[in-house]
Amino acid sequence: MTLSVALGPDTRESTQTGTVTSTDILSAPDIPWNLVIWNDPVNLMSYVSYVFRSYFGYSETKANKLMMEVHKKGRSIVAHGSKEQVEQHAVAMHGYGLWATVEKATGGSGSGSGKGKGKRG
Amino acid sequence: MAKAFKYGHKGIRGHLEPAERELLRSLFDDVISMLEPEERANEDPLAALVGLDTEAREPSDRALRRLLPNVMKNDDDASLEFRRYTERSLRESKIGALKAAALSLDRDDLVLTAADARHWATALNDVRLVLAERLDIRDDADADNVHLMQDWSQAEDVESYLALVYNFTTWLQESLVQAMVHSLDARR
Repeated sequence: MTLSVALGPDTRESTQTGTVTSTDILSAPDIPWNLVIWNDPVNLMSYVSYVFRSYFGYSETKANKLMMEVHKKGRSIVAHGSKEQVEQHAVAMHGYGLWATVEKATGGSGSGSGKGKGKRG
Repeated sequence: MAKAFKYGHKGIRGHLEPAERELLRSLFDDVISMLEPEERANEDPLAALVGLDTEAREPSDRALRRLLPNVMKNDDDASLEFRRYTERSLRESKIGALKAAALSLDRDDLVLTAADARHWATALNDVRLVLAERLDIRDDADADNVHLMQDWSQAEDVESYLALVYNFTTWLQESLVQAMVHSLDARR
């Protein structure tokens, strides 16, 4: 696996150029990865919502809706994109201290992808 | 007593007593020392320069694992590979925020620019994540329990002291985030 976060987009195959940056454009259904934010008892609701507004540029309404989904359902898909794009978002979220993971969009809840060795909850 | 952060025309302003500054400084320093990468013998300097860490492993310490989580829930191998490319720079950016926040504690007046405020918010968040692991906060009920501890005269053991510190940093971060939200709204 090649990771573009540290090495830059030009090390990846050229099918997805680095020109697409808006998360709204990235929600096209043929782009197969999700950024998931998980609930935890520490992060403040106001802070999570603030991060969604300031980092993704989401409206207050959308940010609050996603934050409440994290809080009530335990997780929320907050962005879509290519693998490289959601990985980059995940690192940014980890920078903020939010618990973020990436998963293939086709896996639904994410249980169908990967090698099934995860153990953390 | 500390005063809540407030957003005004000069930026985000706060007020902390000397003892509170000292407390925050030592908390920021503690988290910095947790995050500082180990020095490694025979490390490829070029790899280090681009942030590559071929020896990176999932941290065994719970708190550190929460600060530097796996990027995939069900794929430890892919998470580890990702960690080798990204963890070093993530550690550095967290340390940068913590150091910036610690530095602004030296000034008498706590007036934060937008960049300062972002550093403070993430620094306080990382401190709280570490304290929460030490306090074994696993769910909302645990958090509510810790929240009940508000009286410093009751601090008689490490656990209750940590709970008070956690509640103080929670209050401080909440007031800061409210001020940051006001500054976001004011810019629109």
